[in-house]
Amino acid sequence: MKHLTKIGTSLLIAGIFLGTQTASAQDDDTLNMALSVDPDGLDPHRTTAASTFQITNNIFDTLVKVTPEGELTEGLATDWEISEDGLTITFNLRDDVEFHNGEAFSADDVLYSFERLKADESPRANDFANITEINVIDDYTIEFVTENLNASLASDFAYPWTAIVLEENEEELRNSPIGTGAYALEAWVPQQNLTLTKNENYFDEVHIDTVEFTMMPDATARTTAMLSGDLDIVGVSGDLVSQFEGNDSFQIIENQSNAVQLMAMNLGNEFLSVPEVREAINLAVDKDLLIESVFWGYGEKIGSHYPPVLLGYEDHSEAYAFNQEEAVAVLEEAGFEAADITLDMYLPSDYQSYVDAGQIIADSLENIGINVNIEVVEWSVWLSDIYTGRDYDLTVVGHTGRLDPYVLLARYHSESSENYFNYNNERIDELLTDVQTELDEDVRYEMFSEIQDTLAEEVPALYIQSPIGLSVTQANVRGYESYPIDIIELKNIYFE
Amino acid sequence: MNKKNVLFIIGIILLLIPVVLGLTSFFYTPHPPNTMNVANRMQYPSMEHLLGTDQFGRDILSRIMVSSRYALFIGITSVFFGSIMGVMLGALGAISKGILRGLIMRMIDGLMAFPGVLLAMMFVAALGEGIWNTILAISIFMVPVFARLSYSLVLEQQDKLYIKAAKTYGVKPLRMIYKHYLPAITPRIVTQFSASIGGAILTESSLSFLGLGVQPPNASWGLMLNEAQQYMLTFPYLTVPSGVILMMTVLGFNLVGDQLNDLLVRRKGRN
Amino acid sequence: MRFILSRLLSGVAVIFVVSFITFIILMMIPGDPALLSLGTEATPENVEALRDAMGFNEPWYVQFLEWFTSFISGDLGRSYLYGEEISTLILQRVPVTVSVALLSLLIATPIALFIGVIAALYQNKLPDVLARTLMQIGDAMPSFWLALLLLVYVAAGSSLFPISGFTPISEGFIDSILSILLPSFVLSLGLMGTMIRIVRSSMLIALKEDYMLLAKMNGISKFKTIVKYPLRSAIIAPLTIIGMQMAGLLSGVILVENIFSLPGLGRLLLVAVQQRDLFLLQGIVVVIVSTVVIINMITDILYRLANPTMRIGGRDE
Repeated sequence: MKHLTKIGTSLLIAGIFLGTQTASAQDDDTLNMALSVDPDGLDPHRTTAASTFQITNNIFDTLVKVTPEGELTEGLATDWEISEDGLTITFNLRDDVEFHNGEAFSADDVLYSFERLKADESPRANDFANITEINVIDDYTIEFVTENLNASLASDFAYPWTAIVLEENEEELRNSPIGTGAYALEAWVPQQNLTLTKNENYFDEVHIDTVEFTMMPDATARTTAMLSGDLDIVGVSGDLVSQFEGNDSFQIIENQSNAVQLMAMNLGNEFLSVPEVREAINLAVDKDLLIESVFWGYGEKIGSHYPPVLLGYEDHSEAYAFNQEEAVAVLEEAGFEAADITLDMYLPSDYQSYVDAGQIIADSLENIGINVNIEVVEWSVWLSDIYTGRDYDLTVVGHTGRLDPYVLLARYHSESSENYFNYNNERIDELLTDVQTELDEDVRYEMFSEIQDTLAEEVPALYIQSPIGLSVTQANVRGYESYPIDIIELKNIYFE
Repeated sequence: MNKKNVLFIIGIILLLIPVVLGLTSFFYTPHPPNTMNVANRMQYPSMEHLLGTDQFGRDILSRIMVSSRYALFIGITSVFFGSIMGVMLGALGAISKGILRGLIMRMIDGLMAFPGVLLAMMFVAALGEGIWNTILAISIFMVPVFARLSYSLVLEQQDKLYIKAAKTYGVKPLRMIYKHYLPAITPRIVTQFSASIGGAILTESSLSFLGLGVQPPNASWGLMLNEAQQYMLTFPYLTVPSGVILMMTVLGFNLVGDQLNDLLVRRKGRN
Repeated sequence: MRFILSRLLSGVAVIFVVSFITFIILMMIPGDPALLSLGTEATPENVEALRDAMGFNEPWYVQFLEWFTSFISGDLGRSYLYGEEISTLILQRVPVTVSVALLSLLIATPIALFIGVIAALYQNKLPDVLARTLMQIGDAMPSFWLALLLLVYVAAGSSLFPISGFTPISEGFIDSILSILLPSFVLSLGLMGTMIRIVRSSMLIALKEDYMLLAKMNGISKFKTIVKYPLRSAIIAPLTIIGMQMAGLLSGVILVENIFSLPGLGRLLLVAVQQRDLFLLQGIVVVIVSTVVIINMITDILYRLANPTMRIGGRDE
């Protein structure tokens, strides 16, 4: 399982900034945290928001868990076995687990949860369509049969949306969920606060008794609260980290995330369908400056759709290095007059850094003579018109990291419903189909490498960076780790 | 020169500042308003940048100049549309009878009961952000004030002798409005018009501040303050320049509106 | 009695019209709540299934009638976003919004009375000029800018005022007041302009009344007379416009709640807009507007009872 990602947490789509509020009185039994984004309900099967998973992951458990290093480890399943043909995975479940209401956990709960996750109303229905059969062997054994071979099958059971829920709780899952996790929900008043209490019967060690989340949407407010000692952990942006630097009362934790941020180009556009135009756009933008301006330098420059922390990374960050004269020359050689090109750029208003990055890119493109019309749209409009409707020329957005490179890259298949680039390359389609059934790790990684090379050369997007997440904790906080999937394990946190 | 005139002149000067800045920006700004220069970001005022630079190193004075255009344009056009809709609705309510009048008055009451920001937020959410939608939202928010004003003014006029006389001669309703009511109520409407512009500019900047009005890369004072909020701890100076010009502009329009009111309405009433 | 009845009826009519208009506007809001909930992984089949489950595939008038009948019976439905009863969500936030509104009135009223009365007594002299300058500045000051300046230059530097958030009264009266003091102050400045104007003019009118002259002739001291007559009418004057000020006051509350991150109705409203939680949005809008209508109705009726001869201008009774 060493092919999984190493370190990193992404604070990307609907990112959350967490903070802990220990009591100034150093009450070791209470961990008060701050939320910047309100959870959109606490039903792990009906949300896509990273901020929500940060909470639900502590209320619910998954069959498989991930270590900070990206290795798979036991969760509700003690071990698992994949059949010779690679199509069936069988889990042995723990027999000593109870839900927060005292109900015993068994294989039926797993069956119910995955059926619910596969339902039409579920955002993950597509991801799990490959599972054709779920068989309960006995109370503590369950097997999943898949249609097509999936070389990284076990990692599918580690994501926070594969949480095991309780059937009788279905109606109330959004506002008063019952799970098996290390913490149980005590109270939630949306936009105000959310309280978790320790699950005394949890099968693993849990340090802190009560976790209190307070809603603090404003970054300045979180920073001042941290500075005044009211918070213990806080996620900060690059410009605010200076407030904590050189102060022994705080630890600054940088973690390279496995997210990628990019400016997508719609190849359905008559200009953008021409490789030279996309090449010129790549040449025209100074990525270093962009990262410095918008992210205050906290990001790793990339040249393809692949984060540096993911195994099998090929460094293409210097492909099409910034050179505006060359950009103009490339355009001219291809027979284009920059002034004839007008592109519409759509930016999601909820993500200030993408709006900022878009403006800087537009400014660079205007420098080589390409006209850019910027329109800022709300996230809901972005989802329906830009992402789903593919009605755009340029847009800046981020993609959260995945454990398996295939899931990350699958959107470049010409048939994928997530291929909002309208990218179409037969060789890539072939690779993406073959890589799913290839069991030899080395061959798989050669394929991923080829996909990276092709994307870096054909640039269906301007690949910008993989962000570096910044958290600040009080000096006495221990056990706060970042994971390759967007979660926080509250149970590991303690005060020294 | 008496005190009234002093206030009037102060008002005119205050409101000329954004007008001049906005008009000048069409052919001259000290720096291109959208060009970024990160090496130069977050600078206090200097000879090179008279009002300093923002988080992307853009020249604040140039951005304020361009923003003046939007503030004035949105403020004036939205009051213009709002007053036309409002005056017509109110006049219609006053000359009509029965159910139609009841319906119009309930609509006006309903609009009055909406907190302005709420109404504007709903409209912007329904129509999307952007300059024209902001104008539409603010003009609808302006409708009830004008509607109630014209309603009561027309009612007042209806009791007057010459209107009654015109009616007995069988003058058509539209001609009545155009020929008799409008000239009689115009001074009051003009006064209300000028007094409303300040409020409209304030509403535009509030909406932009909430992220529901003018959108980047266009500049607006409200939007500049929204961006400044992020850098409250690291560069608080950013909150100052656009707020000052916004307040001066609104003050200018309010002062001029008040003095016009004295001039056109009260003086006339005295005669 | 007939007046009260007709006032009640027209109030109900306004609420119906408002909820209908709101519903129509909300129907026009682009962005699909089903898609928003499913995010970037959705297939068209997913979206369709969820739309059905959420009831968005019914014709709009069916949706409106269903909504209105349950609204009348006091049921606002469930928030799609939070899975919570909408009435619960709204009730949780009312204390914040009401405390901010009340505190700002409590700050604005005595100050406006004082300044207004002084200005009237010293008409056209220095105190009057100062009062009117303050009035102009209060009117022209963008509330969100003042809020921002207070955050930057007052709250950020001191530990006295929290930068955001609300402390409920149950956690200490003083802390609770401190947590809403800055926002309430911002709001009160916006209210003061109008209030001072009304106090000042009603005071001026009262001072010119015959009884002032009469009192003077009878040798009663000026101070006593003022306390006895004009001051009273000056105090009552701003109360009569509270109804009309309601909408403006709530507008201000929505803004400052969002700047100071106070978890009141205004913040809930912004989230409902952003997350396209249409029924939640509809619920909040109708509750806010109904409050304004009802308060207007009550002040109108009270005013009428107090002054039976008065006709309220602009109404079409």
